[in-house]
Formats: sequence, structure tokens, C-alpha cells
Amino acid sequence: MRNPFLGALLALTLVLAPPAGASTDAEAASAARATAKSTADHAAFKVLQQPFKSGPEVTRACLTCHTEAAKQVHKSKHWTWEFLNPETQQRLGKKHVINNFCTAVPSNYEFCTACHVGYGWKDEKFDFTSQENVDCLVCHDTTGTYRKVPGLAGHPPYKDMEFPPKSGRIAKAPDLGKVARAVGKSSRDTCGACHFLGGGGDAVKHGDLDTSLKKPGKYLDVHMAKDGLNFTCGTCHMTSGHDVPGSRYGVTVAKSDAARMHMRGRAEGNPATCESCHGDKPHKARQADRLNSHATKLACQTCHIPEFARAQPTKMKWDWSTAGKMDEKGKPFKLKDSSGHESYDSRKGDFSYESNVIPTYVWFNGEVQYTLRETKLDPSKVVEINRFEGSPDDGKSKVWPIKRFVGKQPYDIGNNQLVVFHTYGQDDSALWSNFNWDKAIEYGMREIGAEYSGKFAFVSTEMSWPITHMVAPKADALACRQCHAAPGRLDNVPGLYIPGRHGNALMDLAGWSLAGLTLLGVLGHGAGRIFASRKAKAREGEGK
Amino acid sequence: MWKVLGGVVLGLLLCVGLAYSMMSRLMFTETQSPFGMEETVARIQHNIQKTGNGWELSGLRNPAKAVQKDGGNVLPVMMIEACSTKYSKPILKEDTVRFLSILMPCKVSVYKKDDGKIYIGTMNAGLMGKMFGPLVGDVMSQVAEDQKKFLLFDPSTPAPPMILPAAAGPATGGGGGGGGC
Repeated sequence: MRNPFLGALLALTLVLAPPAGASTDAEAASAARATAKSTADHAAFKVLQQPFKSGPEVTRACLTCHTEAAKQVHKSKHWTWEFLNPETQQRLGKKHVINNFCTAVPSNYEFCTACHVGYGWKDEKFDFTSQENVDCLVCHDTTGTYRKVPGLAGHPPYKDMEFPPKSGRIAKAPDLGKVARAVGKSSRDTCGACHFLGGGGDAVKHGDLDTSLKKPGKYLDVHMAKDGLNFTCGTCHMTSGHDVPGSRYGVTVAKSDAARMHMRGRAEGNPATCESCHGDKPHKARQADRLNSHATKLACQTCHIPEFARAQPTKMKWDWSTAGKMDEKGKPFKLKDSSGHESYDSRKGDFSYESNVIPTYVWFNGEVQYTLRETKLDPSKVVEINRFEGSPDDGKSKVWPIKRFVGKQPYDIGNNQLVVFHTYGQDDSALWSNFNWDKAIEYGMREIGAEYSGKFAFVSTEMSWPITHMVAPKADALACRQCHAAPGRLDNVPGLYIPGRHGNALMDLAGWSLAGLTLLGVLGHGAGRIFASRKAKAREGEGK
Repeated sequence: MWKVLGGVVLGLLLCVGLAYSMMSRLMFTETQSPFGMEETVARIQHNIQKTGNGWELSGLRNPAKAVQKDGGNVLPVMMIEACSTKYSKPILKEDTVRFLSILMPCKVSVYKKDDGKIYIGTMNAGLMGKMFGPLVGDVMSQVAEDQKKFLLFDPSTPAPPMILPAAAGPATGGGGGGGGC
């Protein structure tokens, strides 16, 4: 060591530093307190000062004080994965809907329920009334160490394990006691653990939700930017009694006029909307009246989220029909696209990703019709997994930006219905193990007790996702010319008259004719004046 | 006499006006890509490497990233930079045209427009070269021929990986080091 001062400093640091891993309960708890400004120090609670062996043990300890919490969670969609749409009477929620990503939860519970706020949902016999099955930590962890892994039916790993299997990556078992003693408010990290990773990976599903929102720059999200308003998810999704508002399943038309405009959330007002803060006349500055008049027909998001997936690409296509190909050695394989994202996986088929996606724009009145498993479909057409209802003249629709996700997935050609298939499992029927569609579909359909003709094919599907996060700075909102010109952003939205883009041939002819006649008149009059003046001069000359 | 002179002047003015209005379209070309952003960039990069004649990639710039760092948004733009000493050397050697180093390295721009489609922008090297005498005209006409090869795509081949500049990381605002000039 050439510099004796530096040597001494290093030695002092080594002496003073706590041994690795010994730290940090107190630090984590204090950090949690500082963040949450809580009136309770969970590290001081005796019931939490024990080594917990499982998640349900922690929950039992939580319930000794938070006596009503589990009952509240039991009523939430985060627990039931179920939603009865009062408008359409369709039974929705993850438990029922078939989407065109990983498709369906039934027969794949152990895998999918890594994102359930509960423990032990491995089959249809799961006890939804059990309070100790509620997972408190998944939403209230502040240590960042609590992680649930697909395949464990909603439990975190209780021992270090390799995940994904054969990947060489280790999913660490969390120290449940440490996590429990440092609980706090939910955060971007806890919400994002599922909502940023929906569809099987970062940025895959939504397009406007991904891990870049953990620490976004202002360009990406003016509300959540660390150097901006620094909102958490809970700032807008203002939760009461564990009921989180702002679900896309709850897109019902609200009663009050102001609330009706945003079309999202529950009937009695929804804090997770633009209008709940900005009102229905949001523009105050230059040309406020003109811009506010746009707000009667355009959702705020239409102009203020000009593109989505601005930080990282989102999946735009998933073709299950190509799954199952093997390499020369007969092994499953993966391919990557030019940007390094997966473009093919033997287990899942072909994908495509895109960043800075220009949204599709549709009329939307808050009602969504789903193609459920029971719904009869027409395989000669693209099947709409969900259809956003709305029209220019129903008086309650606005133009919304959406992500339109397309794909191909199996359906029962005998019954013309979508099928549930078994993707994950250690058994012989799981598609991701044996690559046998027949077995996977038979297993999935048997699991839900549905009739299956025994024959399947693939049908093209599309699914719509409302775009509402990643609000850009106001300087980057859509400019006039992006719609009031041809081609324009709203070209495919029916029933809109947009000056600068649309024209009426007769009106145009009449206008141009008038302009032409006026020009002719001016020229004729001018020529007449010149002619008359010359003639007068000539006469004067003759007179002299 | 005045009528003839007036006619000539009017004709000249019309020609100048027409040339002025068409200049941008003549000097630069824009074509739509059949591929996505990254795939277009990657295919052009690999084409450049296959073209021979000393062409080497010298950078990949992403000016949109710089705008993001400043808190704003623009649609994606990526500039592929390439250079060949076979073509740069004669120009850099000659004092009278050395100022044309400002056009180096050769750039191909790939960008998304508001219609969601990907476009490729290039300079019309052949036409531009003709403006600077026979030496530059000759060199640039060869560059123009090679440029056409940069944009020949074979959709039957799988998408190659994008080549990221080693020094600057994944297509940042910087250009990164590289070969060529």
C-alpha cells in the first residue's frame, strides 16, 4: 500500500463494517419506517421476532394485529381472480378469461399463481376462505428480497433453488422473518413484481407497464419520474381496505358526467383517472378552450401518450401454432431477434417485439365484450379476445389509445370454441415438457370439465389493452398536424370529422370555384382598368 | 428585345425555383423498410460488412436517447456509420476537397415515422459527388453503387443480431469507436 492514509482508512472500514448478512434487520426496518412514515415499528413486535418457516406462518402473525386484513383481501380481485361484469354479466378475471399470451390459468395453477396474493393455489380445490393463505408480504415487502417463483403455487422458495430450471440462475429463499419485520406500504417494486412482468416477462403484456417505471425518467412518465412528481402506483390507485381501484376489468360507465369520461373503474368515482386530478377542463394555458373541446371526444391518453413501450420493447405478436419445432438434435431451441429478444421458443412459438409503438385508436365507452371459453367463434375471421365497445354517436364514448396484440392459438374445431391447454407441470401432459398439443389440450379441457371434440386447429386472435400509463411531458403530446393532416393518427377511427384531414368533394369544388371566380374577377377587372386607361390615353393623344 | 430578355429571366427564375423545391428530394433518398427498427439496422450493418471495398462499421448513433436524457421524446432514430479508406483516402489526400471530410463517415439513417412504419434515409452520394469535380464525382459514384448494396435485403434469411458499438454500449447517444476512417 503506497499511501499509508488510505491503508489506515481501509483497515478502519474493515473493522467497523458489520459482518456480511448480520446487518440488517434494523436497517431495513428503519428504511421501511422512513419510507412509509408509519406509526408502528414492525421490528419491535414480539410476534414477528421469530424465524418463520413458511408464508402462512407469517400471515398468522400479521393477523394477530391486522384482524380484518385477510377478510378485506378475500373480497379483492387480487385474491379472487374473478370479476362479474355488471354491464355484460360476463364472468371475467384471470380465473375465467382466455387471453392470447399464456392463454389460461386452469390446469396451470402452480405456475400462474406466482402472481396470486395467496399461498397454495395449486388446483381447483384451493381454499379461498382461508385467512392464513393470504400473502401479506408480496405487497408489503420493502426489502426487495421476497420473490415468488412460478411452479410453487404462490409460495416463495423456502430453499435456494435454480430458476428457471437448468438456467444456472439461483432464486434465493427470502429470510421471512427479516421481510416480515420490515413491512411497509406497497411500492412500485411490489406492484411491479407482477404487473410489470405480465405475460411471462418484462414489458411483455401491457406495453405501458414495465420495469422501466421503477425509476423512470421524465420523458417516460411525468407522474412517476423520480425527478418529477415521483408518484407511486398507490398515488393514483388509491387503495382503501385492500380494494385497489382502477382495474381494467372494472371498466364500467360511471354515473357522474366527470367520472364517465374516463370510463375506467367503479361506478362511484375512481381515483385512478386523469380527471380525478385534472378535471374535465384540463387545459388552462394557450388555446385552452379549443383543447378542452377536444377532451369531450378524446381520452386524455390519446394525446398525452403518443407512443407506448418507449423505454423497452413490448411483445406485439405471439403465434402458438409454430411451437414444438426441434433442432437437429431433436432438442427444443430458442431464437433471438436483432435486438436480442426472443423471437422463437420451441415451448411457445414465434414472437415479435416493438418499441415506441404508435397506438391503435378506437371508440370506447367503457364496455368490453370478451370471447370466453364458452363463446362460439367464427374461425374464418380474426377472433377478438376482447372487444372495446363504443361509437361516435352513443354520447358516452371517447377515442382511446390501445395496444392491439395479435396471435394464433388453438381452438376446438368440433365445437368452435377456444380451448384451455396444460402448459406447465412435471407430468406427461404439459406442453412445455412433451410438446404434444393433443395431450396438453385434453388435459386442460378435462381439468375444467369442458367438452372437447378431440380435434384442434389454430385460429388468429387479437386482444386489446388500454394504454394509460407512461404519460409523456406536455411538450411531447400529439401536435395538431399529427391528426389534422393526411395521413393522420386517427385515420382509422370512424365518425370523426377532422379539419385538415377530411374533405367533401362538392364543398371543395364549390370553394375552389369561388376562389377561381374571384381571381378571374380581379384579373378581369384589373385588365379592364388597364385597357380603359390605355384607351383613354390614346384618345387624349389623338385629341392633342 | 425586352420581351425576349424578360422571358429568359422569367424562365431562369422558374428553373431556380423548381430546383430549389426539388433539391431536398434529389440530395437525399427515403425508402420504406419491410422490417422493424432493429432488424433494419442489423440487416444494413451486415450488408455493409459483406460489401467489401474496405467498408467497415464505424458507429451506431441513437440521437433519440440523447433527447430522452433531456426529458423529451422523439420517435426512434438510429444512424449507422460506415467508412471505407478506399474511398476516403483520395479525398482526404487532396487539399482542395478535404473539407468534404465533413460528410464522413458515410451514414445511413433508420427511423420510425408517425405512420408507425420504418424508413431508411441516405444521401444521394452520386449526385452530390458531381458537384465537386471529377475526383470526388468518381469516388462518390462508386460509393453510391456500394450504398445500393447496403440496402439489398433478403427476407428469406433470418434476422441477424444488431452490432452494437463496443465503446458506447447499446446504441446510446454516443457513437462508439469502430473501424473504417
